[in-house]
Amino acid sequence: MATEPTRRDPERLKRANRRTGLVLLAIVLVFFFGIILSRFIENPAVSIGVVGGAVLLYLVVAIGRHLRR
Amino acid sequence: MSTIPHDAIVGGLPHDEHAHHPKGIMRWITTTNHKDIGTMYLWFSFTMFLIGGMMALTIRSELFHPGLQIVDPEFFNSMTTLHGLIMIFGALMPGAVGFANWLIPMQIGAPDMAFGRLNNWSFWLLPPAAIMLLMSLLVPGGAASGGWTMYPPLTVQSGMGMDLTIFAIHIMGASSIMGSINIITTILNLRAPGMTMMKLPLFCWAWLITAYLLIAVMPVLAGAVTMLLTDRHFGTSFFNAAGGGDPVLFQHVFWFFGHPEVYIIILPAFGIISEIIPTFSRKPLFGYASMVYALAAIAILSFLVWAHHMFTTGLPAASILFYMYATMLIAVPTGVKVFNWLATMWKGSITLEAPMLFALGFLFLFVIGGFTGLILAIQPIDVQFQDTYYVVAHFHYVMVAGTLFGFFGGTYYWLPKWTGHMYDEKLADWHFWGSFIFFNVAFFPMHFLGLAGMPRRVPDYAQQFTDWNMVSTIGAFGFGLSQLIFLAAVVKCIRGGAPAPAKPWEGATSLEWTLPSPAPYHSFVTPPVVK
Repeated sequence: MATEPTRRDPERLKRANRRTGLVLLAIVLVFFFGIILSRFIENPAVSIGVVGGAVLLYLVVAIGRHLRR
Repeated sequence: MSTIPHDAIVGGLPHDEHAHHPKGIMRWITTTNHKDIGTMYLWFSFTMFLIGGMMALTIRSELFHPGLQIVDPEFFNSMTTLHGLIMIFGALMPGAVGFANWLIPMQIGAPDMAFGRLNNWSFWLLPPAAIMLLMSLLVPGGAASGGWTMYPPLTVQSGMGMDLTIFAIHIMGASSIMGSINIITTILNLRAPGMTMMKLPLFCWAWLITAYLLIAVMPVLAGAVTMLLTDRHFGTSFFNAAGGGDPVLFQHVFWFFGHPEVYIIILPAFGIISEIIPTFSRKPLFGYASMVYALAAIAILSFLVWAHHMFTTGLPAASILFYMYATMLIAVPTGVKVFNWLATMWKGSITLEAPMLFALGFLFLFVIGGFTGLILAIQPIDVQFQDTYYVVAHFHYVMVAGTLFGFFGGTYYWLPKWTGHMYDEKLADWHFWGSFIFFNVAFFPMHFLGLAGMPRRVPDYAQQFTDWNMVSTIGAFGFGLSQLIFLAAVVKCIRGGAPAPAKPWEGATSLEWTLPSPAPYHSFVTPPVVK
């Protein structure tokens, strides 16, 4: 998602910004429609568990993968 | 680790010859500059803070005496609802984004935010949304009055004001999401060479994690109010029991957003405090890495505790135990942060300028709010205190004494960099002491009222609660008047004052202090190299 912290190539940087932004936007859309669609699962515990698990996994991956950079 | 000695920065000096921009109102409407947009966010936030504050004073005026004397109950309920919504979505969140806009590019050595036009749009969505929310007071049936939590079935049945509220929340949520995308992309992609993640200033870390939280939970709130809207107008029954829906499900979804929202509001203030305390203690922040991990731990745990807001709705015993202990667990990373702030001050060469006064006020009062939160986490106690003034006292100690004091401290800390002038220390001290004393006069008695059983969101109450309510109302007006001192101090600083040097605070170490004061229109045209 992120590039190395350098600004030598503006075009490459612009592409990286766009890519990061689109990935984040995709996550937003998944959560928005996910929470509505999860209402159609009969068992609320399962639906909340699925969305909650997705959020947790996303946070761990999103924050964790950047720690070493 | 986040401390960057200024002799370790190579190049990157700014120049202002490219500062071409339209003049007058068009500068503000068309700007993509992070400083202009940050300024607009901060003024918008303060305006909404004053409007929300007026609503709070209306509430407190009505509660000065038992009985109904100033407003009718429906309007009172609209005031409590709009006060909550405006303070959270109009004042605190945009305030935090204002700080982010001003500071993140300067702290990471970037020329601006990653998406300039998106940034402009994020801001300009807010005023129409706020106007829509306020105009709902004028529509037939009045503004939303079911509380900021918008629980159905009440909100499924209420009037047109609720539709305007839902629409305003959609727009403000979209603004927050766009702001978060911008902040995450800026921090991940635009850091100066050598600025590794573990060299980021704590404020940037706090905002990075906050932005991730926003990305995760704002769509959930948007989904919840969309379902509410379709229940109201399109014949669905997500939450409508008459059609087979479940009103309690709304509470689950709402608090899945609502509890992380508390941390969305408080984490940027944590970041500001983590900048101020080392500066005025003249010591590096104690335990930088543990501060970062504590922020991340708080963020993750915030997703696991939402049902502690629903202990009285009826949950299985195993769920109650889980949410109770998970909530208590949040005290651990929060305690790490408080310990590290105290350890930073330990044997430091402390001076008490206004930013540090607000940081100390934050520490003292936020810990009180944290402890009352721990008490409320205990389910058998929570069952007694649910919907009493004890809860109102608790969250105001977190939101006002926590976040707002952090923002006040941050404003005084960075005002010299923003305006090029030093602020009036005497006015700032008056502001602090007025806010600190009257805040406690207003909100500490609410603990007693709650313990005695006074319910929240009611315009009338039993005689025995009169004395503490009178004290609380006097405190609220004192706190409100103290904010006019803040306005005077800021305006005076903008209009003039002693010129501020590039680094007015001896102990400050982050990159923004390498720029002249006021900061030039374009911050780092060539990126500085952090060694």
